[in-house]
Amino acid sequence: MKSFLKSWKARLVLLLAVIGPGFITANVDNDAGGIFTYSQAGAQFGYTLLWTMIPITIALIVVQEMSARLGAVTGKGLSDLIREEFGFRLTFIVMVTLVITNFGNIVAEFAGVASSLELFGWSKYIVVPVCAFVVWALVVRGTYTSIEKIFLTASAFYVCYIVAGVLAHPDWKAAAFATVTRPEAAGIRNYGYLFTVVGLVGTTIAPWMQFYLQASIVEKGITARQYRASRWDVIVGCIFTDVVAWFIIVACAATLYANRHHDIASAADAAQALRPLAGDYAYLLFAAGLFNASIFAASILPISTAYAVCEGLGFESGLDKKFHEAPVFYWLYTVLIVMGAGVLLVPRIPLVYVSVLSQVANGVVLPLVLVFMLLLANDRELMNEHTNSRGFNIVAWTTVVAMIVLTALMLITHR
Amino acid sequence: MSLVALSELLGATVRDASGTVRGRVREVAVAPQEHPTRIAFLIVNTTDGERMLPSASLKSCGATVRAIGDASAWEKYTASDGVLLLKRDLLDQQIIDVHGRKVVRVNDVELDSTPVNSHLALSVIAVDVGARGAIRRLTQGLVPAFTMRALLERIPPRVIPWQYVDLLETDPSRRVKLKIVYEGLSKLHPADIADIVEDLPAAEREAVFETIDEEVAAEALEELDPKVRVSVVESLDSDRAADIVEEMDPDAAADLLEKLPEHRSGQILKEMQPEERNEVTQLLEFGERTAAGRMTTEFVSVADGGTVSDAIDALKQFEGSREAVATIYLYSAAYAITGAVPLVKIAVSTPSTPLAELREDAITCAPDTPDDEVAGLFDKYNLVTLAVVDEHERLAGIITADDVITMLRHAD
Repeated sequence: MKSFLKSWKARLVLLLAVIGPGFITANVDNDAGGIFTYSQAGAQFGYTLLWTMIPITIALIVVQEMSARLGAVTGKGLSDLIREEFGFRLTFIVMVTLVITNFGNIVAEFAGVASSLELFGWSKYIVVPVCAFVVWALVVRGTYTSIEKIFLTASAFYVCYIVAGVLAHPDWKAAAFATVTRPEAAGIRNYGYLFTVVGLVGTTIAPWMQFYLQASIVEKGITARQYRASRWDVIVGCIFTDVVAWFIIVACAATLYANRHHDIASAADAAQALRPLAGDYAYLLFAAGLFNASIFAASILPISTAYAVCEGLGFESGLDKKFHEAPVFYWLYTVLIVMGAGVLLVPRIPLVYVSVLSQVANGVVLPLVLVFMLLLANDRELMNEHTNSRGFNIVAWTTVVAMIVLTALMLITHR
Repeated sequence: MSLVALSELLGATVRDASGTVRGRVREVAVAPQEHPTRIAFLIVNTTDGERMLPSASLKSCGATVRAIGDASAWEKYTASDGVLLLKRDLLDQQIIDVHGRKVVRVNDVELDSTPVNSHLALSVIAVDVGARGAIRRLTQGLVPAFTMRALLERIPPRVIPWQYVDLLETDPSRRVKLKIVYEGLSKLHPADIADIVEDLPAAEREAVFETIDEEVAAEALEELDPKVRVSVVESLDSDRAADIVEEMDPDAAADLLEKLPEHRSGQILKEMQPEERNEVTQLLEFGERTAAGRMTTEFVSVADGGTVSDAIDALKQFEGSREAVATIYLYSAAYAITGAVPLVKIAVSTPSTPLAELREDAITCAPDTPDDEVAGLFDKYNLVTLAVVDEHERLAGIITADDVITMLRHAD
């Protein structure tokens, strides 16, 4: 038994050692906004939206790989590069957009915190301020890095969805067919459908992730020479994210959709998807997983936003600086958390809807960030021989165009 | 004299002596080989390609640039590594603010235009890193120029005078052509240099360490975060790395080499001078977290029969670090350690005083003493230096208090 434990421990250590920025980013990607968006997609449309998963995965791999490569080759963050290559005004526009969308995501994370603990009957008026303060202090005091591994280990919770998906006895044939089939044409006239598709793309390929991933690669000191290993880290992470996403949709389709429970209004509804696995304890498992995912992302998002903005606009930044040395950095960080958590204290705010909405905003903003990344990744002076391949450009530009078209259609069908 | 912002000048229409519009300003160039701050020429986008408008033919500049003479005299612009292009190389880029001791991003560049005889002398005087430059760039073209000027005057400027600016350039040959030598940076305290370097991207770090004086580089390297230190040395070529490592304290050098991949440390050792190499290899043989791994082999020792003047001679010849001279060690005929004399006692005694009169017992430890026990000895005896002796009681090296502080701070 002892030796078993030992070897198990050794294996875990080994696993954590090889887990790189790509895998971490992928895990943070399945945050509160992600879980709610995937759940909503499955509950509302059954297997119908599974066709999105393959194109989204391909686009995700291409986009994340570009971020990682930009970081490894230039040794600079995405906002630094945008500033250096496109000047102050464009950087300012990108940064303002980033702050607004990221703020939505931060709200979604705290909505995840609030709704997960609501399952235990705890009032959001207490837990949200407490959690916001804890997150703020964890990061500012530098304790965050030491507990990152705990969060990461706890995100093994996602495996539950895979098991739940299997135990729900979904119609495998229908699910598999829906994954490889082409989208039905009627979708483009349906606002709810378009809204969910944009949300699915936005939550999986979130703009903030590109800034975060590139910054992590730079911070880890990965250079063009060591990049090959990181590329695999990124690809594996992306595939893992989307396999989990696929199973969340399937689990929700097989449980919620099958029982005509089409609208997820609260975490309690979403938790039903785990019933085949955990029975009456489903809500407990769901609450724990959602809480971990939300806190994990809530610890990363505000600080990564503060870094990106300060680096792009040339303000002092860094946790090694004192408050008065980097006032903009600390204020931005603090305000994002305080306001993000504060919004949720509005009585009767629809937590799930707000979360999904923030992911749709991600999808709408994505093309803007992607265009900058594409221009940078094709800049020969910057990237030398590491510029984009033609295939990459085709996928990424298609994503840009598709998102613009989807957004336009969504706005047209909205009334 | 009057101030012109680079962002105002860029895109300005250019008129020649006849008043005809010839094009727009695309770039502003300095040729450091000729003059470090003077603008050599403006690059003008004309219908006939990019032309160089020499600053000697400038009559006035602002929203419109007026030139003396005819546009046909402007030569065609061909790209050259030897000129500093203010927009491309400076605007929005990171620079080192030597005075403020940090890395900052350039929001705008301030130029001074002074009429000289019949033309304008245009030169760089400062870079703007504050809100004034930022807001000017943001509102340019959206707000009428005079409103903007009135608005901007209310914002307190945050500028760095040009002499305190060190440019970052990663291409070594271009660095030479642009005469970038990090003169200002080199004069800073090594700990400040280290702080600045830690804020730079990897390629820029390498550029700094390739350029600055070896001795300064060595001291700055010792102050760097251990992880960054290793990556910097790995990025340098072995020849340059060896030059820097030679200048480091042997204990710090051994520490560093131990953390490098074996083939890299081997290459660096091979390039080092035999004397320094021997010292470092000796240290490398001991464990890193022991007294021997922490000690330096550069210390002051005198025969115990000597006088204060002998000790002063030894101090005069000593080339090691300042921390190491706090204690002068005494040895017997068999080179075994017999005592220690604090520097203070030497300073307050007459040259003829025998050292035996000033002698105190030396606190010593064995080479394999672990870190925590070393720290314990410093604490217990309030030491400034601790002698490390071999099995024959011969002095092998000393540990200084600053080593212990470093060790305690990085105890994890």
